[in-house]
Amino acid sequence: MIVRPVRSSDLSALIDLARGTGPGLTTLPANEERLAQRVEWAEKTFRGEAERGDTDYLFVLETDDGTVVGTSAIAGAVGQREPWYNYRVGLTVSASKELNIYREIPTLFLANDLTGNSELCSLFLRDDMRNGLNGRLLAKARLLFMAEFTGLFGNKVIAELRGISDAAGRSPFWESLGRYFFKMEFSQADYLTGVGNRAFIAELMPKFPLYTCFLSEAARDVIGKVHPDTEPALSMLRGEGFNYQGYVDIFDAGPAVECEVAKIRAVQESKSLVLAVGTPGDDAPVYLIHNRQLEHCRMTAAPARLAAGTLVVDPLTARRLRLHAGDQVRAVTLSPNTALEGQP
Amino acid sequence: MLVMRPAQMADLDEVQRLAADSPIGVTSLPDDLERLRDKIVASEASFAAEVSFNGEESYFFVLEDTARGTLVGCSAIVASAGYSEPFYSFRNETFVHASRELKIHNKIHVLSQCHDLTGNSLLTSFYVLPELVATPWAELNSRARLLFMANHPERFADSVVTEIVGYSDEHGDSPFWDAIGRNFFDINYAAAERLCGLKSRTFLAELMPHYPIYVPLLPDAAQEAMGQVHPRAQITFDILMREGFETEHYIDIFDGGPTLHARTSNIRSIANSRVVPVRVDENAAKAGRPYLVANGQLQDYRAALLELDWAPGKPVSLPAAVAERLGVGDGASVRVVAV
Repeated sequence: MIVRPVRSSDLSALIDLARGTGPGLTTLPANEERLAQRVEWAEKTFRGEAERGDTDYLFVLETDDGTVVGTSAIAGAVGQREPWYNYRVGLTVSASKELNIYREIPTLFLANDLTGNSELCSLFLRDDMRNGLNGRLLAKARLLFMAEFTGLFGNKVIAELRGISDAAGRSPFWESLGRYFFKMEFSQADYLTGVGNRAFIAELMPKFPLYTCFLSEAARDVIGKVHPDTEPALSMLRGEGFNYQGYVDIFDAGPAVECEVAKIRAVQESKSLVLAVGTPGDDAPVYLIHNRQLEHCRMTAAPARLAAGTLVVDPLTARRLRLHAGDQVRAVTLSPNTALEGQP
Repeated sequence: MLVMRPAQMADLDEVQRLAADSPIGVTSLPDDLERLRDKIVASEASFAAEVSFNGEESYFFVLEDTARGTLVGCSAIVASAGYSEPFYSFRNETFVHASRELKIHNKIHVLSQCHDLTGNSLLTSFYVLPELVATPWAELNSRARLLFMANHPERFADSVVTEIVGYSDEHGDSPFWDAIGRNFFDINYAAAERLCGLKSRTFLAELMPHYPIYVPLLPDAAQEAMGQVHPRAQITFDILMREGFETEHYIDIFDGGPTLHARTSNIRSIANSRVVPVRVDENAAKAGRPYLVANGQLQDYRAALLELDWAPGKPVSLPAAVAERLGVGDGASVRVVAV
């Protein structure tokens, strides 16, 4: 498997993938025109022809036989063309010592605070491919890419994780709030933002702070919580240093986790190394490996061994990366704390 | 004979008896001797004061059964709502949220806490014994205040408001309160109103949410209670609606009851009343049509409901005993309006 930038020749594979995502993936809508636009724009991005506020680093996961089975992306900066909205979960305290009254009421404040941050998005892996290293490769390759090309991204990166909804795609938060203002199904609102129609959010949504006591209990319960299917993604990001700081999605109240790029584990621990080809050994930990290219970026995950400033990989891995011994790579252990394993 | 007059300190015990029976939502009649004492003191001072424009005065009237020497009702006017502490209301507004592209046009109701009604004169403290509710005596109890206002316009504002007690159920619970206020106070409606009567209302208003509240998010029962009148306050509501008050876009922040509003000069009893001379005449007709009749005094203000055979241009003929009850003599002026 390798992770590489999307190409226009991937379009029909992408449409197939998008049709399979169900109601969960906002930024991969099953809309051919929109996807074609996105691919074109991503190609422009990888050629270095877009400003940070417009960059869209869309990657695909490709099998050895050339089948595209997943996507992931990084947006250079959110909210610099149209406002980027979240709710900040704050607090209102209503108190009177004389009357012996003290009440804490979580309050939602509409915020554009996350404007300018880079964003991890569009993560999707075909169902039958959700095994082995595939998921972690697809998700984390982006972090290694950011380690290499720090200048292309902001100080901080965020990831909005899917909030809780039931099997039919109903979000209790939406039912208790958004529905009254948008007068449409949650899936419809989600779709519209996915195809880039965001102006309606500013036009329709409530702008005043919202006391959560006016939402249903079911809605209150899901604020800041992820969909069960998204738990693994949350765990993974937490392991890399991402944290929830009280910002949630305005539609389903799923959490937006964030981390300073410089403090992401994969970024901090990554090293630029010289590639060596040989036998990494049976105990070799898995490394994420990047060919250090931008437009011709190729990344993979494989067992590897550090040896005197080189990274020893097997011949298949080198071929996947289209590299030879002596070429430059950037690498980091796929999992946190792996480097500590086997140390004396 | 029932006569409306300013309250005096000697009325205190009787006033407390009335306050004890008045609905919990009438916070200006707390069942508390100290507060009621203060109320009478403030009223006596207001009647005695020289006033050139409305300020901190308050005028408290009682309806006395002169035969028995007991009180059967009361009502009051606050010269300026919010004079010494802010007067809070919910303004019921509509925001339009529209997306042309999506062809969506939403009218969203929002309740915003405001002080808009500050400065208006405020009718308060209406109470009348249950057996008098469906009688013209209720009219006297409410409208005698209005005749007083007509006599002394400099003491009052250009506009008058009154908060009608909103809906609460037989257990003393208010769906409007439960949906909104209770989240910030953690006590039920009856307890909150009791607290209101004892402390100033401001105190509690300061605990209420300051951000506008989106009405669609409230439970149905709370939305229905907005602008609804408590059954025991229906009489007050009806009398004032007939006087030309309108239910404007304001409701009470605690129980959602409607706030009625009128320009002082447009109030029926004020606009249609006439000032005419009195003729004391033992042969005055005993039957006729019912009128509210009030003298032009301050501390000796008296008003009564009388059957008169009267037409504009004629003096009002009263037997001596009645004239005496009304505190007028031959040639004095009274203000008259048909019931």
